[in-house]
Amino acid sequence: MTNKRSLVDVINPEIRDFLVEMGAEDIYKCYQCGKCSSICPWFQVGTYDFPIFRLSLETALGMVASSEDKKELEEEVDKLYRCVGCEACVDQCPHGINIPNILRAARRLLVDFGSYPDILKSIVQKIHDVGNPLGEEREKRSDWAKQLNVPNFQPGIEYLYFACCIPSYDPRVQNVAQATVRILQKSGCSFGILGVQENCCGEAIRRIGAEKVFKEVTKANISSFESAGVEKILVTSPHCYTSFKNDYPEFGANFEVFHITQYFSGLIEKGKIQPIKRFDKKVVYHDPCNLGRQNGIYEEPRNILRNIPGLELLEVENFNRSLSVCCGAGSGALWMEWEKDERIGDIRINQLVDTGAEIIAVACPYCLQMFEETIKSMELNIEVMDVAEILWESIG
Amino acid sequence: MDIIVCIKRVPQTAEAKVEIESSGKDIVKDRLTFDINESDTYALEEAVLLKEKFGGTITVISLGCSDADDTLRIALAKGADTAIRIKAEDFDELDGYKTAQLLSAVIKDIHFDVIFTGCIATDDAYSQIGATLAELLGIPHATLVTNIEVIDSISHVHRELEGGLQEHIEIFLPALFTIQTGINVPRYASLIAIKRAAGKEIKLVGQNEISKDQLLLNTQIEELFIPPVAKQVKIITGSPGEVSEELAGIIREKGLI
Repeated sequence: MTNKRSLVDVINPEIRDFLVEMGAEDIYKCYQCGKCSSICPWFQVGTYDFPIFRLSLETALGMVASSEDKKELEEEVDKLYRCVGCEACVDQCPHGINIPNILRAARRLLVDFGSYPDILKSIVQKIHDVGNPLGEEREKRSDWAKQLNVPNFQPGIEYLYFACCIPSYDPRVQNVAQATVRILQKSGCSFGILGVQENCCGEAIRRIGAEKVFKEVTKANISSFESAGVEKILVTSPHCYTSFKNDYPEFGANFEVFHITQYFSGLIEKGKIQPIKRFDKKVVYHDPCNLGRQNGIYEEPRNILRNIPGLELLEVENFNRSLSVCCGAGSGALWMEWEKDERIGDIRINQLVDTGAEIIAVACPYCLQMFEETIKSMELNIEVMDVAEILWESIG
Repeated sequence: MDIIVCIKRVPQTAEAKVEIESSGKDIVKDRLTFDINESDTYALEEAVLLKEKFGGTITVISLGCSDADDTLRIALAKGADTAIRIKAEDFDELDGYKTAQLLSAVIKDIHFDVIFTGCIATDDAYSQIGATLAELLGIPHATLVTNIEVIDSISHVHRELEGGLQEHIEIFLPALFTIQTGINVPRYASLIAIKRAAGKEIKLVGQNEISKDQLLLNTQIEELFIPPVAKQVKIITGSPGEVSEELAGIIREKGLI
């Protein structure tokens, strides 16, 4: 963190040890090469000072969120919550340091002591109490599927389709879950949903630092999946994918997890679905951080789009695949409010618009919501669609 | 300036579906999260601001079971110097009056210039502790405080009244104030303060220190219930003339004009 106090005053080995205990052990690997800074989306935003290359060193010196001045501490905590967890820095670091994990160690301590932004407190509370970050009623979780005749998951059904919170409730994003279900039905896939038993996966709250609530949510989800006899899960959100595939095994889970684009791409390859209707649009594909960089799924969404007749697939030159820039919604940032000239989403949307595309194709509900909002606030003339929505238009 | 802040650990029910437990006298709490009572966070911050200005110490006191230690530790990390937990498990059933008696039994042995409490607890919403505690200690008090300035042992206090009115009063210290939310911006705890708080001792006070014989219970919960949802929607149909005539009739009949 940028610190206005003298170095001698602020070096604190006790804080360093405290943070290492909470999972920041990577700090010792950093030799300050600065590669992380060159790739961090805040570097591209340019109007907000987020010196990511210094964070490991500052943590090693025990200087993170350690000011005892009220105003200075507010700025330091705000800075800790600027990281969107896109892991572009992790991808570039020659020593494989996970800087978001280092920051999360500090976030975990701050959360335990109620010292983090109020808006995120309310998100954690909502996920704990009603199972979704929107504060919507549990009883309405499967309303999106009412007209679609989707069975509740039971033994004998092959896949659990896990729609995620935003597609379950947000009227715009519900269309993504509905298009997904229609494609699955058309392909003859054996699938069911958990209905009102479905709960947030907890990915965002772990990254906010609310580890205790995350553990509670995770254990409840694993138990409900296991008691329903779930073995294979299809997910719409790359955040759920990360959670189920990378986080849940820490708690004994052993499910096969597929992102819906992997499954759809496979269905096309096997000839089980055929995109036949023309979709005469220029489409640019945005790689979601959690799908691409963090889980290596780059080809499958592109393969779906390439198979759609008439669709012209565009790429963001220099900033695609592992170099894709975050939409700005990860690690709780979807709910944070930053100044108009300090938004990562604005940078990314400009890159996408500059390709000349008419449509931005996404494969993540967070990206969809973030871009919809950004397009409105910047009054841009471009549309956002999920890959599943485009595919359904070509099949349905 | 020595300050005492009384804080309470309360269940967070704003988003949760509240259910009544089988006794009919409490809510089901096992699936709820708990946090420091909202107005208590402002009371604590007001204490820290006064301490920053005048020096002195802050003692936080909470009546609760061992889980309340987490809440006290948060208060220690945010600026309190010492923490005392009155062991709720030692004192059976509690109400506002008995709670105030227990707090008073502890506070009478501590030097203080100011006592702060939150203006209302978000769980039972009694708003009794501040006023009752002040009476038991024989000190003046002001409720719903939205501003405090202390000059030469006199506190200049703004209180929130109905209808957007504010009352300005002067009270000699020592005195007790119940703090309204919004009086300040509560601070974060720094990692240094969190580390320091983690190692601090929380003093426990139980039935060995406070005799149960003198404690009185003034109220008893008969029943806790969720009020039935009463929604009445009347759709008026007909021509604009008929609709407006019927609507006017209903408004007149209900005495709304």
